[in-house]
Amino acid sequence: MAERTGTAEAVERPESLSAWQLRFARVFPYAIAFLAIVAGWQVAALIFPSYLIPSPGSVVRRLGGELAREAFLITVGRSFFRLSIGFTLASFLGLMVGLASGVWPFFRRFTRALVSILQSVPPIAWVPLFIILLGFGDYPIILVIIIAAFFPMAVAVMNGVEQVEKLHVDVARLLGADNKQLIAKVYAPEVIPSIVTGAQVGFGNAWRSLIAAEMVGGVNIGLGWFINFAGEIADMTGVLTGIVVIGLFSAVLDGYVLERLKRRLLKWKYV
Amino acid sequence: MEIRVKSQLGGDGPEKIVVEKLVQSFDALTVIDRISLKVAEGEFLAIVGPSGCGKSTLLRVLAGLVKPTAGRVRIDGKDVNGPNRRHSLVFQEHALFPWRTVFQNVALGLEIERQSHEQIRQRVTELLALVGLDQFPGYYPHQLSGGMRQRAALARVLAVDPDVLLLDEPFGALDAMTRLTLQDELLRIFLNSGKTVILVTHDVEEALFLADRVIIMSTVPGRIREVIPVTEKRPRDRGSANLAGLKRTVLGILGLEPVIGNVRVPETNFSI
Repeated sequence: MAERTGTAEAVERPESLSAWQLRFARVFPYAIAFLAIVAGWQVAALIFPSYLIPSPGSVVRRLGGELAREAFLITVGRSFFRLSIGFTLASFLGLMVGLASGVWPFFRRFTRALVSILQSVPPIAWVPLFIILLGFGDYPIILVIIIAAFFPMAVAVMNGVEQVEKLHVDVARLLGADNKQLIAKVYAPEVIPSIVTGAQVGFGNAWRSLIAAEMVGGVNIGLGWFINFAGEIADMTGVLTGIVVIGLFSAVLDGYVLERLKRRLLKWKYV
Repeated sequence: MEIRVKSQLGGDGPEKIVVEKLVQSFDALTVIDRISLKVAEGEFLAIVGPSGCGKSTLLRVLAGLVKPTAGRVRIDGKDVNGPNRRHSLVFQEHALFPWRTVFQNVALGLEIERQSHEQIRQRVTELLALVGLDQFPGYYPHQLSGGMRQRAALARVLAVDPDVLLLDEPFGALDAMTRLTLQDELLRIFLNSGKTVILVTHDVEEALFLADRVIIMSTVPGRIREVIPVTEKRPRDRGSANLAGLKRTVLGILGLEPVIGNVRVPETNFSI
């Protein structure tokens, strides 16, 4: 009775690549880019005197030394702390506002207007105001990070909600879903790819604003401060060490952690 | 046009669905123009007609997804004023959620009902067996064939046990062989359930094979052109002379010249 004939060919399998091949295809471009940066740097280091542009080798040695120093670890940890609080709050707020905008048309117009007005202001421009409002310390920096990461998330989620398959909403309504259930069972899962996009863009923004805010925000701890301070005492090795740490951190977080998260959340796409 | 309730299955059941002078327009375009219609409980009604005759819109109104511009639609004597799990719709495209497995898709309505895990597991297992998908609970829609997806979509609607099943060209996108198999299965499910079914289809043979009555609609604006009762006992023989005759009649009303062998049959006055 049942249609058994379709069974054998029903399951589509992608052409099988070995795990090693897949990994290589993913990692290879990164390796090439990394080598290109190091090569360019090395050439510049050979042309300029070492007190202007120290060689990659000397920066790596300095990095090793810094990583053994507690004060440096604390400074990196503090940046990380500000980033995680700000980014988490911003993502959460952006998600909520984006979802609400998708469900209520009035709210959507409001959010669009808000975004078009506020998004053109670089987050770092708020620093002087926030310092006067909140005083020196973590709060102004965290607030800047929130502003930096909020808009990409809100916009991505809002657009994601607008692209939700109308048919899926109808299906859920026909099965008796109320508004809350529509959000939980249709909008949220449908919007997850947009959330991941929003998180990735927002994270890049948050990370850049963090360093910038730490450089101008009058704090005396954090990676941005570390670079700024090294610059003030003409310690170019210190400056470049800070830059290397920034690059490595964001490469690991963006390219590895967020990528893994994406594959986990969108598991069904990779079956 | 008033249509008598006439049901072959279980005699003339009580009125299940009553449509009175239904008008549906979108802006200036009138898609449905004063359709009146009664469907008996336990009846299988098929609606055929050219594209754009408003048959899908009619189903969406019956499902409560679209508010009628004018006229009334009552199911069980109550006005339809929104989606309701008692009368559910299977769409032409399967509309399965791609991020859910077959099992999770079928479970959707039960989750919305807030049934317990154990209840859901039992009911979904039953339903997957009913539609022949018991081997595939963990598969995602994109891993399935078109027929299997449509089975899953049917199971998802059956899960909430609606008494009115609205089917919007559910087999339209399937290959001919799969379509026939699924027609057989739909018929089996229908005969065992006593549900009232309204099937919108392009396929005249499908309509005649399954339905107690076939409604033929005309296009722009959508009106009921003709109602053809199919009295042949079920299960019907797809090749029977009776069905072939009815098919000729229906095609004639639709203005499609039936072709027998290679000879074109000129338009004649088909009497009903």
